[in-house]
Amino acid sequence: MTSLSVPMPRRSRWLRSGVLMPAFLLALVSLLVIAPLGRILFATLTPEGMDAWTAVLASRLSENLFWKPLLNTMLLGLGVATGCLLIGGFLAWLVVLTDVPGRNLLNLMSTLPYMIPSFAAALAWGTLFRNARLGGSLGFFEANGIPIPDWLAWGLVPTLIVLIAHYYSLAYTIIAAALSSVGADLVEAGQMAGAKRARIFFSIILPVVTPALVAASSLTFAGAVSNFAAPALLGLPVRMQTLSTRLFGMIETGQNERGYVIALLLIAVSASLLFLSDRLVSGRRAFTTVTGKGGRTKRFALGPWRWPLFAVAFLLGCLTTVVPVLVLAASSLAPQSGALFSNWTLHFWIGEGGGQIAQGQAGLFRNPVLLEALWTTLRLGLVVAFTTMLLGLALAWVIVQRKGTLIANLLSQIAFLPLLVPSIAFAAAYIALFGAPIGPLPSLYGTFALLVLAATAHTLPFAVQSGRSVLGQVSADLDESARLTGAGIFTRMAFIIFPLAVRGLMAGAILVFVKMVRDLSLVVLLFSASSPVLSMVAYRYASEGFMQFANAITLLILVMCLGASVAAHLLQTRVQKWKQP
Amino acid sequence: MNAQSSVTTAAIEIRGLCKRFGRFTAVNNVNIVVPKGAFLVLVGPSGCGKSTLLRMLAGLEGPSEGEIRFMGRTMSSGAGGVIADAGARDAGLVFQSYALWPHMTVAQNIEFPLKVARWPRQRRAERVAEVLRLLDITALAGRYPAEISGGQQQRTAIARTLAPQPSILLFDEPLSNLDAKLRVEMRAELMRIHRATGATSVYVTHDQVEAMTMASHVAVLNEGRVEQFGPPIELLRHPQTTFVATFLGTPPANLLPVVRRGASLVLGDVSIAPASVAGELTEARLLYRPQQVAIGRVDGRPVLPARFAEAAPIAGQTMVTAMVGDLRVTGIADGYFTAEPGAPLELSLIGDPDAVFATNGERLAR
Repeated sequence: MTSLSVPMPRRSRWLRSGVLMPAFLLALVSLLVIAPLGRILFATLTPEGMDAWTAVLASRLSENLFWKPLLNTMLLGLGVATGCLLIGGFLAWLVVLTDVPGRNLLNLMSTLPYMIPSFAAALAWGTLFRNARLGGSLGFFEANGIPIPDWLAWGLVPTLIVLIAHYYSLAYTIIAAALSSVGADLVEAGQMAGAKRARIFFSIILPVVTPALVAASSLTFAGAVSNFAAPALLGLPVRMQTLSTRLFGMIETGQNERGYVIALLLIAVSASLLFLSDRLVSGRRAFTTVTGKGGRTKRFALGPWRWPLFAVAFLLGCLTTVVPVLVLAASSLAPQSGALFSNWTLHFWIGEGGGQIAQGQAGLFRNPVLLEALWTTLRLGLVVAFTTMLLGLALAWVIVQRKGTLIANLLSQIAFLPLLVPSIAFAAAYIALFGAPIGPLPSLYGTFALLVLAATAHTLPFAVQSGRSVLGQVSADLDESARLTGAGIFTRMAFIIFPLAVRGLMAGAILVFVKMVRDLSLVVLLFSASSPVLSMVAYRYASEGFMQFANAITLLILVMCLGASVAAHLLQTRVQKWKQP
Repeated sequence: MNAQSSVTTAAIEIRGLCKRFGRFTAVNNVNIVVPKGAFLVLVGPSGCGKSTLLRMLAGLEGPSEGEIRFMGRTMSSGAGGVIADAGARDAGLVFQSYALWPHMTVAQNIEFPLKVARWPRQRRAERVAEVLRLLDITALAGRYPAEISGGQQQRTAIARTLAPQPSILLFDEPLSNLDAKLRVEMRAELMRIHRATGATSVYVTHDQVEAMTMASHVAVLNEGRVEQFGPPIELLRHPQTTFVATFLGTPPANLLPVVRRGASLVLGDVSIAPASVAGELTEARLLYRPQQVAIGRVDGRPVLPARFAEAAPIAGQTMVTAMVGDLRVTGIADGYFTAEPGAPLELSLIGDPDAVFATNGERLAR
């Protein structure tokens, strides 16, 4: 018998021990995340950059360049966070903690709005409420003789409403999850102590879900301040600027340094709040939940309020899901915006050009630019879904394997950094880094590759998170028990690891796909006008006043997103049969 | 007149209590009366309805039918629909999960019920300090539930329940989440607390050892019905059903299925007892205690051929389990005993059967 262990050459063992992979990943995430952010910072430290800082912060221009947009941004952020907390919290309370009828339906309706891009809601708002102030076609109400005041048609109020309608479902999801983790025992222990309903709610339930409330408000705040589509569609026409529309305007007009400065300030606003809220709840030992037995939740009887409250919740759900979709669909079929439900025609979808309507433009499916945009969008979604999940899985693997080491901490910190950066600011950073040729490499500005890089980098936090949950499905002992049967690495891959991981990977990939297809704020700066994606085409049509085309494209995006979401939902719940309770 | 006075002195009186969830009957016509200061243990396998019964006592569930009275006061009445609020029953419940509020410290958890009951600050502080001392957790007062061990969480949960001095204490399998050693300790601790407070206690468990050691009264539940109710020794000595006979007692009693053949009852080919013990029955179950089953042949007694299964030493004797066909039979051997699994063995039945049951599980009156 020869010795059992085969001696390994020193160097190859050193390589195999996995230094290469982490080092490669570290270099990659540094390039994807650190380099652009570093570059945009340094770009503002040049002499031109310093001028831009002065112009933005302390000059005659600064009130318009920064302070007014900042005020609008903060108003939007605070208003949206408050509104989302109230509406999302109300719905979550209703669905999770009461005996309201139709709970499954209300739950579904409350989670859907987040799947509908915010520009869809903004376009639907415009279709209904547009008034004569800017000329062009009127909205549905005004065309039918109901005058719409300016404050309801344009600016802060409609932007606020549209953003709340979009983000409340994020708050709902977070708060509902937290509420359903409050075991019935905790509530019943309060009842045994003699506490009445209000006392139980304020002394027990509310404190226990405080972390979720903080998280929900900070995430909706960050979402609102970073949002580009809603303020651009509803605010820009009346010169209401937020930091993100200002940033877009600066870059678009070639004032890059000023744009970078505003991007950095936008990052500071969004990140500081997320950071603060994190500090507020993490490390508070009081918030560590003690998980009891069973997931039973206590439902309070609403008595005579059951149906009225159901009606309120149902109405909220309808107004934010069904109504916008219906308005978009009707508008894409109606030649006149005042008569949404008559004279329907498929002209805007498949009509030939040269006629009376739509200034002679052909329908969407006859428009080569649009068909190319559709193809580009699909390609972008698929490629980014693939790269993101691949990178996310690799990162998650290294982070889990080397838990506690410096490199694991570094990787997870860097990978979560994009969470703090609004996507339009992230896009600006990519322009700062790749907008000009680097050495022998050509400028990537306007290319498909740049968008893939930026999108992959920006979805890294999500990718790592879902990579970790996928790896969590394949616990070490599942693999080890297969190894003890003598199965080799390839057998294990094929029969154990792949089947366990594939669904999680697919579900994650589909969500990335949805994020990409409905995204506007990242692509709006990075894509050139010549080869746009669908959301950009819709945005351009809308700013040129072709509402039907914009609405039709948005509907197309919606259908793609909803279809993919349903597929992801089915994958997660139906296919893993062994998970059925 | 006499009956009237016995009703008023009963601390807990349960009459014809039923609880249905849809078509499923969780609790079926339960009648239990215990005096003040009693320690009532509800014992039965999981799903027997004992937790539902306890939750109805606590006021967390309303009954479908029947009545619950504490100290003669009606708390729940399925017929009249009278339900006193959970907080208004002068009862405290210790949850299986402990249900400690995670955002409050140990002291705050204990103080909360007193705050709700509007105790003045000074009295609250005194009472909290008192129960902290009683449960020996004074040092933990400032900690959060997530920062203390399972046993300490248990003590905190009990302290919280005791703080407002309820006259009735309810326990829902409180020891089931503790390890074996801690469980024995806490059992003694609970007995001490019960004596110290004098509160009437109702204790739910599936562990018959807990039932036997702690109870002044035991109700054995099975499929929502009370199989038997009485003092623990009474249940052990005179089980009324085969379920009670096999559920209680360590080691478990043996039930031998016999049929009448001529003038005797036989198991397989072995004649065990005269047919007269089973009255007119042609089939019956005979109860033999483990101490009535000897290992080896005893002259003049029925002998069952068996195969050795396992042995466990207990207090200088050995509890031997052997298979008679498919039937597990447990006997006691003096000193230490062991054999190869499957080895042939002879079991002798000493003495007459302790009880005779019909095939429907009911005891034959003698």
